[in-house]
Amino acid sequence: MAGAPRDQALSLLAAANNHGDLAVKLSSLKQAKDILFSLDPSSAVDLFPYLVELQSSPETLVRKLLLDLVEEIGLKAMEHSSVLMPVLLTLLRDDDSAVAKQSIVSGSIIFCCVLEEMTLQFHRHGKVERWLEELWSWMAKFKDAVFAIALEPGSAATKLLALKFLETYVLLFTSDKSETEAPVAEGSRRAFNISWLVGGHPVLDPYSLMSEANRTLRILLNLLQSASSLPSSLTITVVNCLASIGRKRPLHYGTILSALLDFDPNFEMVKGCHASSILYSVRSALLGFLRCTNPTIMESRDRLVRALRTMNAGDAADQVIRQVDKAIKNAERALRDGRLGKDDQLSSQVPVTGDPLKKRSVPLDNEDSINKHEMASKRLRYGSETNSTLPVQINDNGRDGSSANGLSPDLPLLDGELNPVEKMIAVIGALVAEGERGAESLEILISKIHPDLLADIVITNMKHLPKTPPPLTRFGNVPVPRQISSLNASVTSSLVSDLPTANNLPTDSKRDPRRDPRRLDPRRVAVPAGLASTPTLEDSDAMHSEFNGSISLSKPSSLLVGTTVENKSAPLISREEEMESLSVSGIGQMTPTEEVLEEPEEIAPAKQAKTSDPTDSPAHTNDDSVTTEFPDIPVKDEADRSSFPEFYEHSPVLPNASASEDTCHDLPPLPVYVDLTQDQQQSLRRLAIKRIIDSYKHLYAADCSQLRLALLAGLVAQIDADDEVVVMLQKHVVVDYQEQKATALLGSFPASDKSFSKLLGEVPILPDSALKLLGNLCYADVIDQHGKDIRDVERITQGLGAVWSLILGRPRYRQACLDIALKCAVHLQDEIRAKAIRLVANKLYQLSYISENIEQFATQMLLSAVDNHTSDLEHVQSVSTEQIAEGVVGSQETSVSDSQISDSGNSETDSTRNRPVAQSTSTVSLLEAQRLISLFFALCTKKPDLLRLVFNIYGRAPKTVKQAFHRHIPILIRALGSSCTELLNIVSDPPEGSENLLVLDVSILIPMLPSLSKNEVLPIFPRLVALPLEKFQMALAHILQGSAHTGPALTPAEVLVAIHGIVPEKDGLALKKIMDACSACFEQRTVFTQQVLAKALTRMVDQTPLPLLFMRTVIQSIDAFPSLVDFVMEILSKLVSKQLPPPQLESALNKHANLRSPLASFASQPNLRSSLPRSTLAVLGLANEMHMQQPHRSSSFNSSDAGSSVHGATLT
Amino acid sequence: MRERMKQRRYAMVCSSNQNRSMEAHSLLKRQGFDVSSYGTGAHVKLPGPSLREPNVYDFGTPYKHMLDDLRRKDLELYKRNGILPMLKRNSSVKTAPQRWQDNAADGSFDVVFTFEEKVFDMVIEDLNTREHVLMKSVLIINLEVKDNHEEAAVGARLALELCQEIEATESWEDSIDDILTAFEKQHRRKLLYSVSFY
Repeated sequence: MAGAPRDQALSLLAAANNHGDLAVKLSSLKQAKDILFSLDPSSAVDLFPYLVELQSSPETLVRKLLLDLVEEIGLKAMEHSSVLMPVLLTLLRDDDSAVAKQSIVSGSIIFCCVLEEMTLQFHRHGKVERWLEELWSWMAKFKDAVFAIALEPGSAATKLLALKFLETYVLLFTSDKSETEAPVAEGSRRAFNISWLVGGHPVLDPYSLMSEANRTLRILLNLLQSASSLPSSLTITVVNCLASIGRKRPLHYGTILSALLDFDPNFEMVKGCHASSILYSVRSALLGFLRCTNPTIMESRDRLVRALRTMNAGDAADQVIRQVDKAIKNAERALRDGRLGKDDQLSSQVPVTGDPLKKRSVPLDNEDSINKHEMASKRLRYGSETNSTLPVQINDNGRDGSSANGLSPDLPLLDGELNPVEKMIAVIGALVAEGERGAESLEILISKIHPDLLADIVITNMKHLPKTPPPLTRFGNVPVPRQISSLNASVTSSLVSDLPTANNLPTDSKRDPRRDPRRLDPRRVAVPAGLASTPTLEDSDAMHSEFNGSISLSKPSSLLVGTTVENKSAPLISREEEMESLSVSGIGQMTPTEEVLEEPEEIAPAKQAKTSDPTDSPAHTNDDSVTTEFPDIPVKDEADRSSFPEFYEHSPVLPNASASEDTCHDLPPLPVYVDLTQDQQQSLRRLAIKRIIDSYKHLYAADCSQLRLALLAGLVAQIDADDEVVVMLQKHVVVDYQEQKATALLGSFPASDKSFSKLLGEVPILPDSALKLLGNLCYADVIDQHGKDIRDVERITQGLGAVWSLILGRPRYRQACLDIALKCAVHLQDEIRAKAIRLVANKLYQLSYISENIEQFATQMLLSAVDNHTSDLEHVQSVSTEQIAEGVVGSQETSVSDSQISDSGNSETDSTRNRPVAQSTSTVSLLEAQRLISLFFALCTKKPDLLRLVFNIYGRAPKTVKQAFHRHIPILIRALGSSCTELLNIVSDPPEGSENLLVLDVSILIPMLPSLSKNEVLPIFPRLVALPLEKFQMALAHILQGSAHTGPALTPAEVLVAIHGIVPEKDGLALKKIMDACSACFEQRTVFTQQVLAKALTRMVDQTPLPLLFMRTVIQSIDAFPSLVDFVMEILSKLVSKQLPPPQLESALNKHANLRSPLASFASQPNLRSSLPRSTLAVLGLANEMHMQQPHRSSSFNSSDAGSSVHGATLT
Repeated sequence: MRERMKQRRYAMVCSSNQNRSMEAHSLLKRQGFDVSSYGTGAHVKLPGPSLREPNVYDFGTPYKHMLDDLRRKDLELYKRNGILPMLKRNSSVKTAPQRWQDNAADGSFDVVFTFEEKVFDMVIEDLNTREHVLMKSVLIINLEVKDNHEEAAVGARLALELCQEIEATESWEDSIDDILTAFEKQHRRKLLYSVSFY
């Protein structure tokens, strides 16, 4: 009965073999294949020999198709396939490279499957069946044949694949420690690894296989050596294969790295090879290593970076490192967070290597880094290919989510990704959620946001305000202006804002315990933290993984934005003061502009703001509960889902809905209404009024003034307007009037107009308000009635110009004006500060009557930075301008939030205002340090004497201040010029503690080096060696280059001698540094030639004691220039006669055995021999003949030297 | 000459899959090549009213959509700077820009052209992170092309020329050095290439 199809298959196979038409042959073979697979394997096997015949078909396509067939049978009917294996072997040698290639591919696939089957079979049944063993022996033959292809001349196309097979082979049989578990589950998709064989195997011997792998690796390495005889495509492939092995199998990484670093093909020798592409492949390989987070690879970072620098890929390297570091940090955090929540079974399944790594906080405009980062995060999953199943789930969730919630269709979000504004919001939100850790990144981020983008961010966020204003009845029946509801709030925002009551609060509280409402809210105390926090563990991570998009498709944007909003609103509330927040939590919802304007401020490290008061948390709760009540929450369940895809992703086991419900149910219900006593209500209203008025001072936006007035009216009416409130309002009205008048007055002059300055110079008396106005002009922001920042540079110039002319012309107001100028000179905003510093240093400092004041102030600022008591001093100094400063702070606050011109201003403003004393205990930030010391450094350029102070105090400065110093010093030196005597004095006699500054910044001397003489260079030489290698190389170049007049400061030989002259203990330098310096010299073969080495060695051999690294250098010299052997012989002879310490001699001889016999014969000369110590002769193998050696040999050489030399003799 | 199994598959890759890669895609398509195109950026960026205000879209956004969007925003500006014509051309080639990193489903390519070193790096790195299950080699060539309309046109012609030469060879593995060296000499353009696998 099986006869029919069998016969049919036979005739089809015959047709495939003999038919005249290729198309018929192919289709016959395909049909035959279908029949073969429909047959019972045991009966199909009879037909296999006919298949084998097809291997000699003249048609390439037939042979190729045959290979496909063999592969398929090999996988599906492995048991019967060994009869087909000769096809593989034959076709490996096919004339057509396409067929040979196909044979390698098919064979490799079968190879891996057979290997897996061998392991699994033994694992399952405790034995390996006969047929499988036979198949394996075929595989061994296949392997040998492929290896031969890789090594023998032939088509590059085929060899390319053979090389790939070599790579695969090494990977298979090199243990990957991260996959030590045996293949547990059947059908496991993991590729075979030698580590599966830990328990032993009857056929596969792990040890011989591993040594095979090592041998294979050596083949690849040898191929690299012989690159000059290969086509570039092969060399590139070898490099890529090695790189891949290095990345995936840390065991081989060291060997491969060395090989790649040493790789120096002689391209001139090779005709027609594409050298730049080969070199580029090495570069790519090294960069790929840098992306690895494997500890073994991480250790070699310096080496990698150094090598990449020499390839002009330093920037790329730095970028990769930054990305990887960030990714690692995030991974660690994720891990930590994961551990925190490990009570929960859900989080225990969180694959920490996956998603969380993809967090990022780089500015959006840096697209490339996003991508690179994405790669880095992919790479982070080294050794965990199994994770590849995850992304699918993520995608699914994402899609579900996006379909579930009503995305506004007019956004360009066709594939569900975020637009830049939303991404930025998500980033900011995530950073805020990170707490203090995110603060710095946030500062940088915000300082880089373009104002327009920022505006977009603000506007985008506005849509998350609730559509309906919160019910105000609680606060009185204040009519709500219509425009609020026109704010086009999106549904999602209100959705999201209610979810976090359950989820996001714990998240935040975890990040900043101070803000933990549970700590304060007695109802929450009983809630186990783990339970509550789990779902949101990766909350912000989710956002991040989002735009990294390494998983390609993303989740709905609304979800992210929603989360962001929540993250932000939490700090917002906690920032509020006292009872204010209670009332404002409602108002905040209603007055969109206010919230909007404050947002950037909260984004800035709000954590630095004061600790929240106990009242905060009820306030927050209250707020949340208000939102919960919104009637227009449409499909809550779906919103849940979309909001926490991460959650589902990490808990695939549990049904989604129930999981999230559980979480919610665990929390006690939140109060919907807070009962307040009469008094509380009263004070609440009062605070509300105060706050509204305060905010009024900073805001000129017309659209909310109406609302504010309405609120005020309502509140005042409720309060029965007692005197206090009336007075407050009156005062406000008056002050407001005056301020507006002054501003209007100034505004009527153009900035370039001199009449303002002239007016101030000529009016008989300058009232305080005039000086205040002037101060404001200089360092405050000008806001027009639309709330836009219209401060322009010219205004500052105008103000400072007036200050200058007043100082010159109005002695009476000199101090006040100087205060303004100095205040500006330490202003938070770079722009203002720079201008003021220019004025102070270039103009005012020249005025003898105030120069001392200026110097004093600058010194105080400098010292305050160093000694860390910033604010106190500032307060002392600027008492007269204190008031103005307050004004500045106030107006700045709004402008900053509005315009984002200032870099870091916010937090600092906050801190100076709120915690003047507290700051003295905290460390100064880099920006703060910059701010404080810039003036002093500017003065230094005018008066180099001052420089001494910098060096004197450097030693005790905190790290950040030192960093600020480091930034300033090079600029200063450049300004001073290299011939500045003060500088040279300091260099030659550094004050105590400042050596480090000099060591670090001796690099600033590099440009001066050519003009220095030998005597000037030698004293600082150890410091140059101590520099980072590339700087040392630069310095070296300069020294050797010399100036046109004087010639080089040192000759190459002198450089070598100088390097060897460095004594680690004495010069405080690691031996490693000295060795690196030596290597750097050896690298420059054109400069440090054979002759140079000989000269240097000759000079050094006469030194007593011998330089520590002398022997090492001797050996390196031979390595570099084998023809130096004769010369080295001579040197060694000299040494022997100088009584070289035997241990050193011995190790040298062990390494270079060919020296032994000539040296021995030299030493055995009668006159010499008698003068040599016995131990030396023993090393040379002459000891036996020396029976009557003198007993005092031990004293005949300097034993202590020997000890240290041996110790330092790194003859590697 | 022996029959070639089948036509090679080419991919043109730049960062936004708008100008350089699409110019080449368009040209090669017209010449009958089996060609696709991609971008490696995180987003599709088009010039906006100023340098700092680019128009940013996501990959997958149809060219047609961008066309309408920009027409609405500033018809004159985008007509003048050639963006609208470019988008129109693009929409006649394919629907939407595609991202290289997400193209696994599109199958393997034989030759990938990149038009910027960064893009070259990203393609290589991306291929490195994929599992090489097919053991199918892929040639990646970088031809540096400035991102403007004129250069893109020049670059596309050069790419076409190279593709024709590669297409004419039996196996690029053996002749790529010669092809590239000759090309570099003739056009005074530096090329880079690498070999990876699918």
